[in-house]
Amino acid sequence: MVQKIRQIQLVGHKIRQLRKQRRLTQTELAGKIGIQQSDLSRMEKGEYRVSLDTLFRILGEFDMGIGEFFDEMAQESFTPRDVSLVRQFNNLPPESQNEVQEFISFKRAQRTLEVPEPRAATPKHAANQGRER
Amino acid sequence: MGDTNFAYYERLRNAGLEALAAARLTEAFENFDEAYDWAQEHGDSLLQDQAFCSRSAVAVELFPVDEPLARLRAILMRNQDSWSCRLAAYTIARIYELKKSCKKGLFYARIARDLSYQLGREDWIASSHNMMGNLLLAESFFDEAYAEYQEGLDRFETKDTVQRAILLENVGYCRVVQGEMKDGFRLLFESLRSLRRLQADGYQAYPHLSLCYAYMESGRWPQALRHGMRALALGKDRELQKNALYLLGETANLMGDPDRAHDFLLKLQQEHYPDAPHIVDFLMKVDVRQFINLKA
Repeated sequence: MVQKIRQIQLVGHKIRQLRKQRRLTQTELAGKIGIQQSDLSRMEKGEYRVSLDTLFRILGEFDMGIGEFFDEMAQESFTPRDVSLVRQFNNLPPESQNEVQEFISFKRAQRTLEVPEPRAATPKHAANQGRER
Repeated sequence: MGDTNFAYYERLRNAGLEALAAARLTEAFENFDEAYDWAQEHGDSLLQDQAFCSRSAVAVELFPVDEPLARLRAILMRNQDSWSCRLAAYTIARIYELKKSCKKGLFYARIARDLSYQLGREDWIASSHNMMGNLLLAESFFDEAYAEYQEGLDRFETKDTVQRAILLENVGYCRVVQGEMKDGFRLLFESLRSLRRLQADGYQAYPHLSLCYAYMESGRWPQALRHGMRALALGKDRELQKNALYLLGETANLMGDPDRAHDFLLKLQQEHYPDAPHIVDFLMKVDVRQFINLKA
């Protein structure tokens, strides 16, 4: 199963980032999605949960592909699996860490040779697209 | 006003209160509506206000109405009868809760709470605290909401009522969001058992929905699906249907059944968000459990 993005703070951070990119004040965006500025402020800090309606209004307001929004986020996020891998890596002795790094370099080189055009979508994403067609 | 006629009003009003206690809202409304008609014809302004407040309190649960707002505010300002004022304040708070204007709702809920203490009615004190808890929960003030719910629950130590069962459900959901899973499960099951005993079928969808969420958060997928399906089957209001479909989709996705998840989420999109086809793909990719408030 593909690890899904879960961190509430990260969603809030992303909303703040997108709002700033669009030169919107908190009051302006809050007005567009039908909440108060103080609520949006708490949402951006990861303290405020919303209804499904509000979530979809926010996404609609940014007027961008949902995939684009969260593909960006996925690159920035750390799943529990990522954290576990980093912890395990840090617990290895330096020699072993070098070996792991060499192995990663080897796998990346191998992938580049085998797959000239990397796939943009995750397997799960691709499966969903297939169903929609 | 003759005694016989007033006795008729009292009978209507008591029948309305009895139906309300058993969650038979349509029946309650019909009784209060007739009582209001009688009060308009035969009663003084105090009785008319009382009848209007009772009728409005049930009407807002049944119909998408906000026209009582102006008159309820007027009653609150001019009427000296604490009973009517409390009911007016509570109903205004409830209207704002339904309109998702929680901050305004909190203002009136506090008035309702204070008047309930003045009147010394334990059931009204409890329902006022419950209302404040609901409004705070919708605003994601979970600790504050829990404190209000707890105040309300303390008033119902031994009573098996629909009102207490609803309160148990609300506080149970709050505890699950706070990560107090054991307490959350205990409260939610107590709510469900109480509603079953009371045969209040219409309300059972809510503890089922919260149990679906609690089991999902605990990683017990089959139980989550079972309660989610019960909520979907029993629940009539649109918010509950949306949340149930979302939770079922999320659960199926988490348990590694993307086809089933897709079916639930597609149903959610087609029935509730027909202009947003992208949400299926979005919910398949992003786990928004910690971003969503089922009571917002």
